[in-house]
Parts: sequence; C-alpha cells; structure tokens
Amino acid sequence: MSEQNRDEQRTGDAGSPDPTDDEMLIQTDVSESVERTGASFDRDTVVSARDINVWYGDDQALQNISMDIPEKSVTAMVGPSGCGKSTFLRCINRMNDLIDSARVEGDLYLRGKNVYDDDVDPVALRRRVGMVFQKPNPFPKSIRENVTYGLKIQDKGGDYDEIVEESLKRAALWEEVKDQLDESGLELSGGQQQRLCIARAIAPDPEVLLMDEPASALDPVATSQIEDLIEELAQEYTVVIVTHNMQQAARISDQTAVFLTGGELVEFDDTQKIFENPESQRVEDYITGKFG
Amino acid sequence: MPRQEYQESLSNLREDVLYMSEVVAERLRLGLDALEQKDRSTAEEVVSGDDEVNQMYLDLEGECVDLIALQQPVASDLRFIAASFKIITDLERIGDLAVNLAQYAMDADRDVFPEVDVQQIGAETLDMLEAAMAAYANEDPEACHAVAERDDDLDAMCEAASSTVVRDLIEHDPFGEDDADAEAYLQDISRLLLTVRDLERVGDHAVNIAARSLYMIEDDASLLY
Repeated sequence: MSEQNRDEQRTGDAGSPDPTDDEMLIQTDVSESVERTGASFDRDTVVSARDINVWYGDDQALQNISMDIPEKSVTAMVGPSGCGKSTFLRCINRMNDLIDSARVEGDLYLRGKNVYDDDVDPVALRRRVGMVFQKPNPFPKSIRENVTYGLKIQDKGGDYDEIVEESLKRAALWEEVKDQLDESGLELSGGQQQRLCIARAIAPDPEVLLMDEPASALDPVATSQIEDLIEELAQEYTVVIVTHNMQQAARISDQTAVFLTGGELVEFDDTQKIFENPESQRVEDYITGKFG
Repeated sequence: MPRQEYQESLSNLREDVLYMSEVVAERLRLGLDALEQKDRSTAEEVVSGDDEVNQMYLDLEGECVDLIALQQPVASDLRFIAASFKIITDLERIGDLAVNLAQYAMDADRDVFPEVDVQQIGAETLDMLEAAMAAYANEDPEACHAVAERDDDLDAMCEAASSTVVRDLIEHDPFGEDDADAEAYLQDISRLLLTVRDLERVGDHAVNIAARSLYMIEDDASLLY
C-alpha cells in the first residue's frame, strides 16, 4: 500500500468509535524479503501472508505460505483434502485461535497491519473479516435478528432496519423474505439459509469475506444463486473462497491458489492461467485429475 | 491413475484423429495419382469415399463435445480437445480438396503445361500434412514451426505455376484456334489453375494443423494467422 493510501485510510477512519479498530490502523510495512508465490495482480493487496506455518500438535498443516490477495475480487483456494486450504482461510481471521492444538507462525497482514500482533483484538478482526461456513448455520432467531446479531454485539448504533434491508438485498434474499423478517431463519430453505448467513456476515460491512465451501451442501439451483451472489459481492468486498469444486473455482474466481498435500502453496495466479496452462506440472496433474 | 475412463477417452480421441488424418492423406495421395494417371476408377474411389471422411468428422466432433460437456477438461487436456476439434475441420476440408482433385482427373483427358509439376507441388503438400500430424502426435513444437516455415516455399511454387500459365495465356492467344479447341484449352487451363489453388489450400490447412498443435503443446498461439 502506498504511503498516500495509508494516510487516506487513517484519515478516513479517524472518527471510528471502536478503539480496537483504531489500533488496527497502525500500519507496518509488509515484508518483501520473503519470496511469495504467485503473480502480481493489478489490484491493491488486502491480505498479505508471509511465511505462514501452522501446526496442529506435531502435524504441520501449512508450510511457508507467502501470498498477496488483491482487493475486490474472488480468490479461490483449491486442493485435495488435508492440503491446508481451510487452515489458511482460518488464519486470515484468526479462527485457528479457537483450536487449542493449533500453532501459527509467520506474519499475516490485513491492509498492512499484522493481525497476529499482540494489540489486535480477534473479535474486532472478525468484524473486518467476515466468514461463511460450509453448512448454513443461522441462529435459532428471526431473520432480522440473524442479520443484526453482529451489529448488536458490536453495539453499533444506526438504523438497523436499513442495515437489515441493505444486507439482505446484497445477499439477494430481500425479495424472498421481506414480508417474514420476524420469522425464524431456520424456516428457510438451505440455499436461503446460506444467503441469510452471507447477509449476517456482510451486515457489519467487512472488508474481506471468507467462504469455506459455501455451496457444497446446496442443490445446483441454490449453488448457482450463491455463485452469482459471490461475483456480485466481489464488487464491494474481497472474497476468499475455499472450494473442492474446481469448476466452481474456474467459474467464479479471478485468482486461484492451488494448495497440495503437505500444506504447500504450489501456484497462485489468474484463474484463467491456472485452468488453461498452469506453470507447475503438479498443478496440471492435480487439476486434470491425474492424481488426487 | 484416477479418471481412468476419461484418460481412455482422451487417448481414443488422439488415436481417432490420427486415423482420420491417415485416411485423408491417403485420399489426397489417391487424388494426385488419379490426376497423374488419368485413372477414373481411382478418382471415383476418392469421390465416393468422401462420405466416410465426413462421417468421421461428425463422430469426432461428437467425441470432443461429449468430453467437454461431461468431463469438464482443463489445462493441457482442454487445449488438446480444443486443438483436435479445430484440426478435424482442417482434415475434413483436405478431404474435400482431394475430392476436387479427383473430379479434375475425371474431367481431364490430356495434360497441359507439362512444365507445371503438379505432382511435385502435391508431394510437398502431402509431406506438410504428414509432418503437421506427426507434430500433433509427438507433441513437437519445433516440428510445428517447421511446417509453417515450409508454407512460403509452397506458396512460391504455386505462384510460379500460376504465373507460367497466365504468361502463356497472354503470349499465345487461344482464340485464334477454332472455338471447340479454344474452349477445351480454357477448361484445361482452368482445371490446372484450380488444381494448383487447391493444393496451395491443402498446405494452408497443414499450417493450420501445425498452429493448433503448437497451441495444444505450449499454449502458444503465435502461428494462428
């Protein structure tokens, strides 16, 4: 990030009532001494990983991951089971902190601030980095309360009704539920529940939206709706999606990162490049199904 | 290896495209033989065999579409299928040009311009076709470039042949002879010029095959147009 952009960001958020968010605006230079995997993309970088290593107990799940994720685009993470792609996703919003045996080393920067610095509050971080999981997991509450849940915890003032409508519209769910906002979110179909979870994740207006196989539990029609939605969301948010469905990655992502067994990031490039002519023979073999 | 059936389908497609190329090359060879020997039965064999080439084309097109629709190929597999899909069109058109040669052979009853060596031009195009298909089969990028480079020489041979005919037309007014002779002479000349043009097109299709093969091998589109 340029010095000018950093200054703009500081100025722009100067009035934030949340001291933790303010602390997170203290920028540090992202280390360039570590060789990162992947091409340089045209867009500004939002998330930078430098030498990320993760262990679960004695098992190493990620090895020296260094990559830059560009803003307002869809970055897909693909690879065989156990390759560490979901582990990496959970590093970005420090969800791995919740796993006792997990140990993370290395630096992970969000807009230039290392999210593993001692002064970073993981709860505040997760407001800036929303997450949607494989299985739709709405709370056993009304549709309205599901959307406002994070805002209330944050105790962010403002017009909740407006935020509910806007979030549900962005999640392409408003027209289907606008007359039943006080009914339980659990009454919705699987695809609607997942879009409700997306509305809940974007209500606090995060910068990054992490999605861990968000359509794998859905039927083809609901999957198509989620895919369309992801492409729309990427106009405003930086979307990072883990998927086992490589055709889904090919359809909806701008960049694709291929992790292979052992927690190694083997190639990270424009999606078109990965699926038409990858540099790595191992990636070629994996995406054409010759192993895995 | 995973996706055994898919891998076999890719392998079958490669074999089938190569088989089609052998059939088409044989038809081209027979068309040239028919021209040289004024052999009507050989010419008729080429003409009647075109339905078989067309059916091969349709079958292979179906194989490619099925693979794309059902297997969602990517990377080198996708480039192989995309290249094969285009190459079979070139092969089918070479088959059509072989039919043209056979029809010229059936229509002609004498040689005009013996100094225009149609067989030499034909041998060059046949060789280019076989070299292009070998480049496809062996995934040899150097061989693809080599085929493309030969096209300039072929074009020069065709240009020289056409110039010889046109120059003679200018220098020797055929309309001085009686009408029947003049008409027969003009038909012979037209056939010869069309033969040269068709062989030059065979060379262009061979270059197309080399270009698609290079794209298939290295994702290099530099020989396309």
